Amino acid sequence: MTEPDGQHGEDLVVLKGLVKSYTVGLQQVTALDGLTLTIAQGQYVAIMGPSGSGKSTLLNILGCLDRPSGGHYFLGGQDVSGMDDNDLSEVRNTRIGFIFQSFNLIRWLTVTANIEVPLFYQGVKRRDRHPRSRDLAKMVGLEHRMNHRPWELSGGQQQRVAIARALANDPLILLADEPTGNLDSHTTEEILSLFEDLHRRGRTIIMVTHEDSVAHRAGRIIRLRDGRVETDVTR
Amino acid sequence: MKALHKVADIFTLGLHSLSVHIVRSVLTALGIIIGVCSVVIMLAANEGAAQKAALTLRALGSNNIIINSVKLPDLASAAPSQNSRQVSAYGLLRDDVPNLCGSIPGIVRCVVARVALRDTHLRGENLTVATVATEPNYADVAHFNILAGRFISDLDVLAHRSHCVITASLAERMFAYESPLGQTVTLDGEPFTVIGMIDRLPPSLAGRGDEAGNNVIVPLTAEQDRFGDMIIRFAGASRTIEKIELSQIVLQMSDEKSVLEGSVIARGLLDESHERHDYDLVVPLELIAQQKQQMRLWNMMSVIIAAVSLVVGGIGIMNIMLASVTERTREIGVRRALGAKKRDVVVQFLIEAVMLTTVGGLAGIAIGRFAPMLMERWIDFTAVVTPASLVIPFMMAVLVGLASGLYPALRAANLDPIEALRHE
Repeated sequence: MTEPDGQHGEDLVVLKGLVKSYTVGLQQVTALDGLTLTIAQGQYVAIMGPSGSGKSTLLNILGCLDRPSGGHYFLGGQDVSGMDDNDLSEVRNTRIGFIFQSFNLIRWLTVTANIEVPLFYQGVKRRDRHPRSRDLAKMVGLEHRMNHRPWELSGGQQQRVAIARALANDPLILLADEPTGNLDSHTTEEILSLFEDLHRRGRTIIMVTHEDSVAHRAGRIIRLRDGRVETDVTR
Repeated sequence: MKALHKVADIFTLGLHSLSVHIVRSVLTALGIIIGVCSVVIMLAANEGAAQKAALTLRALGSNNIIINSVKLPDLASAAPSQNSRQVSAYGLLRDDVPNLCGSIPGIVRCVVARVALRDTHLRGENLTVATVATEPNYADVAHFNILAGRFISDLDVLAHRSHCVITASLAERMFAYESPLGQTVTLDGEPFTVIGMIDRLPPSLAGRGDEAGNNVIVPLTAEQDRFGDMIIRFAGASRTIEKIELSQIVLQMSDEKSVLEGSVIARGLLDESHERHDYDLVVPLELIAQQKQQMRLWNMMSVIIAAVSLVVGGIGIMNIMLASVTERTREIGVRRALGAKKRDVVVQFLIEAVMLTTVGGLAGIAIGRFAPMLMERWIDFTAVVTPASLVIPFMMAVLVGLASGLYPALRAANLDPIEALRHE
């Protein structure tokens, strides 16, 4: 494979002239308008911007849930912008960890079973999944809640399960969509320190948020406006 | 291998999600249970009817050609006028016997019988019995058991002996407290000595007008001596006189092939001497074939009707699966985000639907297996449950599961993951 132009060894995420447009009714809406961006291995990035700035669209494309209408997206050196649904599922399964605002745990599965879902779709055998999910539950401090169901847990605990689940496949990037949006200030702090911990251990984290206090915990803040990068500040 | 244990995992997953909505699952499966159950019962009933019919026909003998005398409609309908001396002569003739039996290839036995209703006396009362005048080889075509004494012998026939064999039911009526052997039975005033007792004659051979099973079997020669060819019956002030030489000729053939050929030849020969067509030729083998064909049609119809209820059950499954897909849209979105392929989602929902119908199918089979036994107690109903009548409905249930789960499963798989994740 030829090394794409402008990509360095440590550049994990490379977006080049990313365009995403939709047709809503008769109107053409451009959500991303030639966005170019590079995120290096191990960075902790916060993406901010007013509603309609294209941050949700960007997150969907970064998460391989959506395909750009134009431009290129290289994830770990691989161009994923032209992939079909099947290959994108594979990329999500093996290279991306999702953390959602509303946790999105599967209600009727236990904590460990929830953590194992990505491994399940990788086809990892049950007896190999189990030690991994136990380790992850321990890592996020839920070793005493492993057989509980999500509804038996507090919001902060649920988000920690979701983080453990996002780490189950040892992803290239962690994508967090307003991860503290449903949490009180105390648990927000809990989750953010967990993120910092992960960041220290070398995880690449991309977080969408609209709260300045949350964004300022990240090492780099990218502000979007009208589908383009408005500011890109690295501390 | 990887896919295989994944499927096994999805099975556990399916079981889990069905058990979460246990009441709903059971109610949905009920449609399948009823459908499978009715197909099982229908198939079992068909099999039962087929075996019953086969048994009846086997009693007639599949290698036999049975020729009966038939009273012609114009003779039968001619009202017997008072003291009419007119004799209605019809039916098979003694001359037919050498004619048929000597010229048809493949004949093993040629059995003749003459059936007449005669009066006997029972403690001062008149009792009508059906007399079958025949020869010893009658025992080879009429499958009965000798309960006491012996059947009529060649010597009885040669010596024109006034011996008779009676059925058990008649023996019980006439000689309830003593052995019938050696007793005397009078038939239209002529005495006959009982030399044997048999259980019963098959209805097809016992002669008409004898539902009670009261039969007396006498040597053909002796009957000829005592009564001649005329059968005179008095009914009130009127009387009928009929002249019948033989009531029945049974040709026993060596094999099925000669049955079919022989029946054609026999018809040809009889039509030469019986221009009035006062006989009826029955080939049980043909009846078996006809019955089988009719049965096949009826079987198909009944199973199709029962299968309709299975389809209705399938619609129920589809309905509930569609509801489940809507309800679990968010879950589908999460699974897709975490790496489930469309195929995985299809398989997951298909397996859930198939599990519903499989469990329903098993329950339906369990009920259908034992329901016929219960039904046999209350209604005249013979059901024979064969392995096929259990396996076929089960396969149908699995197929219904696949068919009714496919559309909801595809719908689930084709949900846009982004939309699905946003779903409340």
